[in-house]
Amino acid sequence: MDFGFTIAAYAVATVLFVLSLGGLSNQEKAKRAVWYGIVGMAVAVGATMVGPGSGLWLMSLVLIALGGIVGWQLATRVQMTQMPELVAIMHSLVGLAAVLVGINAHLEIGRVAAAFTAGDLPFPQPEGPMSTAAYDLWLGLTDFAMIIGKKTAVEVTILRIELMLGIWIGAVTFTGSVVAYGKLAGRINSAPVQLPGGHMLNAGAAAASLLFAGLYLGYAESGAVAILMLLVLTALALFIGYHLIMGIGGADMPVVVSMLNSYSGWAAAAIGFSLGNELLIVVGALVGSSGAILSYIMCKAMNRSFISVILGGFGGTSGPQQQVEGEQVAIDAAGVAAALNDADSVIIIPGYGMAVAQAQQSVSELTRKLRAKGKEVRFAIHPVAGRLPGHMNVLLAEAKVPYDIVLEMDEINDDFPSTDVAIVIGSNDIVNPAAQDDPNSPIAGMPVLECWKAKQVFVSKRGQGTGYSGIENPLFFKENTRMFYGDAKASVDSLLPLID
Amino acid sequence: MKIGAPKEVYEGEARVALTPDSAQQLKKLGHECLIEAGAGEKAGITDDAYREAGVEVVAEAKALFDGADIVIKVREPQMDEVQRLREGQTLVSFFWPAQNEELLNAAAERKATVIAMDMVPRISRAQKMDALSSMANIAGYRAVIEAGNNFGRFFTGQVTAAGKVPPARVLVVGAGVAGLAAIGTSTALGAITLAFDVRPEVAEQIESMGAEFVFLEFEEETKDGAETGGYAAPSSPEFREKQLEKFRELAPDIDIVITTALIPGRPAPKLWTEDMVRMMKPGSVIVDLAAEKGGNCDLTVPDQRIVTDNGVVVVGYTDFPSRMATQSSMLYATNIRHMIHDLTPEKDGVINHNMDDDVIRGATVTHKGEVTYPPPPPKVQAIAAKPKEKKKEPTAEEKRASEVSAFKEETKRQVALLAIAGGAVLAVGLVAPESFMRNFVIFVLAVFVGFQVIWNVAHSLHTPLMAVTNAISSIIILGALMQIGSTSGLITVLAAAGILMAAVNIFGGFMVTRRMLAMFQKS
Repeated sequence: MDFGFTIAAYAVATVLFVLSLGGLSNQEKAKRAVWYGIVGMAVAVGATMVGPGSGLWLMSLVLIALGGIVGWQLATRVQMTQMPELVAIMHSLVGLAAVLVGINAHLEIGRVAAAFTAGDLPFPQPEGPMSTAAYDLWLGLTDFAMIIGKKTAVEVTILRIELMLGIWIGAVTFTGSVVAYGKLAGRINSAPVQLPGGHMLNAGAAAASLLFAGLYLGYAESGAVAILMLLVLTALALFIGYHLIMGIGGADMPVVVSMLNSYSGWAAAAIGFSLGNELLIVVGALVGSSGAILSYIMCKAMNRSFISVILGGFGGTSGPQQQVEGEQVAIDAAGVAAALNDADSVIIIPGYGMAVAQAQQSVSELTRKLRAKGKEVRFAIHPVAGRLPGHMNVLLAEAKVPYDIVLEMDEINDDFPSTDVAIVIGSNDIVNPAAQDDPNSPIAGMPVLECWKAKQVFVSKRGQGTGYSGIENPLFFKENTRMFYGDAKASVDSLLPLID
Repeated sequence: MKIGAPKEVYEGEARVALTPDSAQQLKKLGHECLIEAGAGEKAGITDDAYREAGVEVVAEAKALFDGADIVIKVREPQMDEVQRLREGQTLVSFFWPAQNEELLNAAAERKATVIAMDMVPRISRAQKMDALSSMANIAGYRAVIEAGNNFGRFFTGQVTAAGKVPPARVLVVGAGVAGLAAIGTSTALGAITLAFDVRPEVAEQIESMGAEFVFLEFEEETKDGAETGGYAAPSSPEFREKQLEKFRELAPDIDIVITTALIPGRPAPKLWTEDMVRMMKPGSVIVDLAAEKGGNCDLTVPDQRIVTDNGVVVVGYTDFPSRMATQSSMLYATNIRHMIHDLTPEKDGVINHNMDDDVIRGATVTHKGEVTYPPPPPKVQAIAAKPKEKKKEPTAEEKRASEVSAFKEETKRQVALLAIAGGAVLAVGLVAPESFMRNFVIFVLAVFVGFQVIWNVAHSLHTPLMAVTNAISSIIILGALMQIGSTSGLITVLAAAGILMAAVNIFGGFMVTRRMLAMFQKS
């Protein structure tokens, strides 16, 4: 089939992808939207395979099937609490694929140039119509080479820039995602770690990348040097990805994951440019911009600039933090249960601690029991609760908590004063009143859930330590706060028989 | 000190200021109690009952006034009673100093101290001696009973074998203590109760008693009730008109109207006009608790029960508490007892008239030969803390102006962004060849579409969104697919690896998204 058909199929796929992303605006439409995405992908892959240039159909199909089986297994086996890790590691695959495709593009250019030189013909093509000899040679090229073969000098240079961009971003995404995966999975210490030199090292590596990019363009004609330059460039990008994400604390992982998501999109778009593939450009740009917006939304929720998150750690403190006075008062399960039995309205604030303890099923059961008694139970979700945007929503949904009682911060924050009991399960910074009261707090100005305004607050927490950000939380010392120490799942389970 | 309660001389007054119970409590404070013979008779308390409680029964009023250091009464004293007071003697009673200036001056002349129970400030601490509230509570209750007595039907709706009875519809005007008591009684009897008050802040109290608040659409600087000591303030003529209009609308469907609207120190406002009475069904009842101050209804005759031409009964009794003398004597005597408790801080039978105490100062209208009415404003703010100063609502014009300026600001920013982005694109266009620009246009458009689409994604779906975009980003497989057909072995191998990884991602990403979305359930 000819090229026109492929382009038409790409148009169809593009529309399907846009619908797929836009359909996530609500829970019901979302289920349909995923199918749009799946069909769009099938159309895109099918059209590319029947389109010009691709060969080895059987091998492609076998590979896709193989990858499919692996992906299927991964997706079905993964625990919902491991979702952030899974998403992170899958990003790394996209990044690596982009690097490979980029390197291939470079090799292909070399091969085309060699072919033309062997035929004693100029390459890149001079301006004006192609000579008959060159045209004959060009006709004999395979499909991706054909696109390269007709390019002029400027176009080839642009092509090289594009493929460098694709490789560079892809490589950053690759190592960045692997590190993010390690941190989320707990295989790497989640505290921010930087090599001596810190951000200067990153800046240096970025500057060196530019230098080698220039060198690559300069030595593009001499095959061995060029590939060496390209590999050095890739290595630098790999280092930047690694070092950048290592320097970011676990609490900022939601932003990091969505940022890497964005990068993988930009890498795809850059590769799309170099391959002259419109669909790659469109979809890459879609994914890139969506990741960027998600990062922006989350940074806004934390009242921090994107730059300060990316550069790692909390910044901008001045002066000593307020001293927290008072003591943390512990309470046992019977006390919490008594308060719950008396309460009419309850708000539960889950955090990463709930995910770690796998307590969502128990929390769901508690919710079911309380609701059966006619109490109003709702969930308050902070935009950055958990390790992935919307992480808590997914966990609660898995535990069959109906989504219409799971509310966002803005929807529920005004309701705390009229609430009898607020239960904080494994969250810390997102309920820290210091964000509002203490201008010197590292999280000052970050919007938080004002749970301390409820009549009573119970905090389910492992021990007396501080949260990810290492900030003391005055909530725990408030008069209407009681600490319910212990593993979140065990704690909630101990409550269940006491609710009657 | 000796505390004496004379027989009430006012015609028809059945209450008494001292009960055997309160007398026993007063004795614990170190006081002795006297009572005029027959004082408790109408309230159902015999002289013997008093004697049993250790109260000395005195045959005549004169002897009582002479023997007692503190005289306690219900109704304001008559002139001859005031003349009996002597220097240093204390009178505790309702007094209405604003209306009874003559009595007030006479009492001051006699150098007696008068504590007016109607002047007790309305603060939390003084609630236990707030006789107005306890009497109003009884009046509200009795008003409903009185209405039921004159009303020919059930209050509650019933479906019986002999037919269906609709519930009575009761309208309570004025939701003070009496009004709220009336609402409570009326709903307890099963009537459908509506209630109106000029103070919108009492809507919550009305609803808490089980009545429906009659809401009046009216834009006005309404004074907060707390500023006027919890009482209603006079309303503007426009507001009154609006209010009457609402009542006219309600009148034909209302079976029982209980009006309790009073404004301190003024005649009662006319709220239920003659034409409203005409609109009501025969057999309907109006109970006017404000009859003593002229009545809220045009047709009210104080102390009378009249029947209008169209068969509506208008009850204008002014002695509702007295009609329940046993109950009201008990409550009033307790109020008095609390007052004397505050006057005897040491519980040693010695009165310490502390004029620095807000409550005592407020209630004292004459002291040591001087008229001490009106009192200075109490140090403790009345009733509720003043609600926080509300932010001034911007006027429509201000709103409009701020909207316009916000719009202009946004336009400016958008134009600036577009100019920068447009300039950048144009700059690229100057140097880049046409083939590149074709793709570039697509790229810019796609970024734009991406921004537009993603803003709408629900917050709770951000994780599925990430998973789906992750799956979609495996579109990179296209690049690998295009290269795998290359004649170079190395390229083929690299492309094959790319295809494999992307395929993992496609299937994994979509599967995981579907799993997540399937979990989202509505309750």
